[in-house]
Amino acid sequence: MNPDLIIEILPAFLRAAWLTLWLSVLAIALAAVLGFGLNAALQLAPRVTPLYRTIVWVVRGTPFLAQLFVLYFGLPQIGLAMDAITAAVVGLAIYGSAYFAEIFRACWQSIPRGQVEAGRVFGMSRLAILRHIEWPQAGRLAIPMLVNQAILVLKESSVVSIITVPELTMTAGTVVADTFSYLEPYLLLGLIYWLMALALASLGRATERLIALTPSPKA
Amino acid sequence: MPWFERWLGYAAPIGHGLLTTAALSAVAIAMGFAVAIALHLTRTRTRGPLPARGLVGVYVSFFRGTPLLVQLLMLFYLPAAFGLDLNPWLAAGLVLALNSAAFQSEILRSGFEAIPVAQLEAARVFGLSERQMFRHIQLPQVLRLTFPALVNEAVDIIKGSAVVSVLAIADLMRVGKQLVAVSYRPLEVYLAIALAYLVLTTLVSWGAARLVRARSTGAAA
Repeated sequence: MNPDLIIEILPAFLRAAWLTLWLSVLAIALAAVLGFGLNAALQLAPRVTPLYRTIVWVVRGTPFLAQLFVLYFGLPQIGLAMDAITAAVVGLAIYGSAYFAEIFRACWQSIPRGQVEAGRVFGMSRLAILRHIEWPQAGRLAIPMLVNQAILVLKESSVVSIITVPELTMTAGTVVADTFSYLEPYLLLGLIYWLMALALASLGRATERLIALTPSPKA
Repeated sequence: MPWFERWLGYAAPIGHGLLTTAALSAVAIAMGFAVAIALHLTRTRTRGPLPARGLVGVYVSFFRGTPLLVQLLMLFYLPAAFGLDLNPWLAAGLVLALNSAAFQSEILRSGFEAIPVAQLEAARVFGLSERQMFRHIQLPQVLRLTFPALVNEAVDIIKGSAVVSVLAIADLMRVGKQLVAVSYRPLEVYLAIALAYLVLTTLVSWGAARLVRARSTGAAA
């Protein structure tokens, strides 16, 4: 292994890691909003159940790469062309939204209806019930799952290198082509993803601890 | 060429690609299961100093913390740095298996932890050996408990296997690229490819659910 080479290629990798990071964060945020919306639609209008089930079935039953190819290579055929980065963010957001929706649904269903009814009996407003009964429990339950899903989206984002988004994985390929060495770029590539996933996981654990420390309304 | 003739032309290559993807995934999941059992036994049965258990932890953390595509590229190109050229099929099967092993070992761990300690104590009182306990008490229960999670993992591997197409392996995804190169109709081809994946993953989860139902009603009777 050549330390000089690592120092030489490090800036390119860090720039690419930055692209991977903001691409993923943007996609995760969009996916969470979309997923929340999907679940809200399901809870408020039971008529959309078949549509909801179909979306979740199709998105979770097909590879992200296939979804991305339909978006990036398929849609231009009907005049809907996107550049690679847009297709990457939109694709990751759609992919993630189905999983996020299922997480929100699971958390929503975990709270017994009796608690909400009891809150109403005690004269709590709907907002107070949401704030003091539903959110503390659902949030505590949701955070580990949401963080896990965020890590999955971050990892899946490496696939967008195949449609030539110059993020981390693609950069490793270009660095290899420039330097003619495989060892350092690919070791660095694996290491950076690993560190990002570990960082995200420990951020999640810190959030969990923070939430556990805030006094719950049961007292 | 009329559309139905064109679509009929897609059927054979897509069927072929589907079989390739299914076979590659099946081999990877089976190999991954064997490795996962080995990982689990290493983690729980080794006594004394840490190295073996520590290595298992690092292995699982790495394979769960990095993208499958990156693992594939690393396993394919890193040996090349030492003048060792790996066959793409071997690299693909190996990476899918090693990746799945990490996830399956975590699933198995939760299964083994769910078995009450008292059962093992009772077995020990009755003079069962470690091997007998593993074979007759732990494994059957763990398999039943973790079966749904293992099926989920199998579906993840089928979907994840799409990235091996970057190594020019003629799996389902690669077939899509080849068909597009001929027909210049990416939308219908990639939709058909996605549909083929959906059929495969749905069949796997549906078959697994049926199996669970059949077994549980059989046990009740």
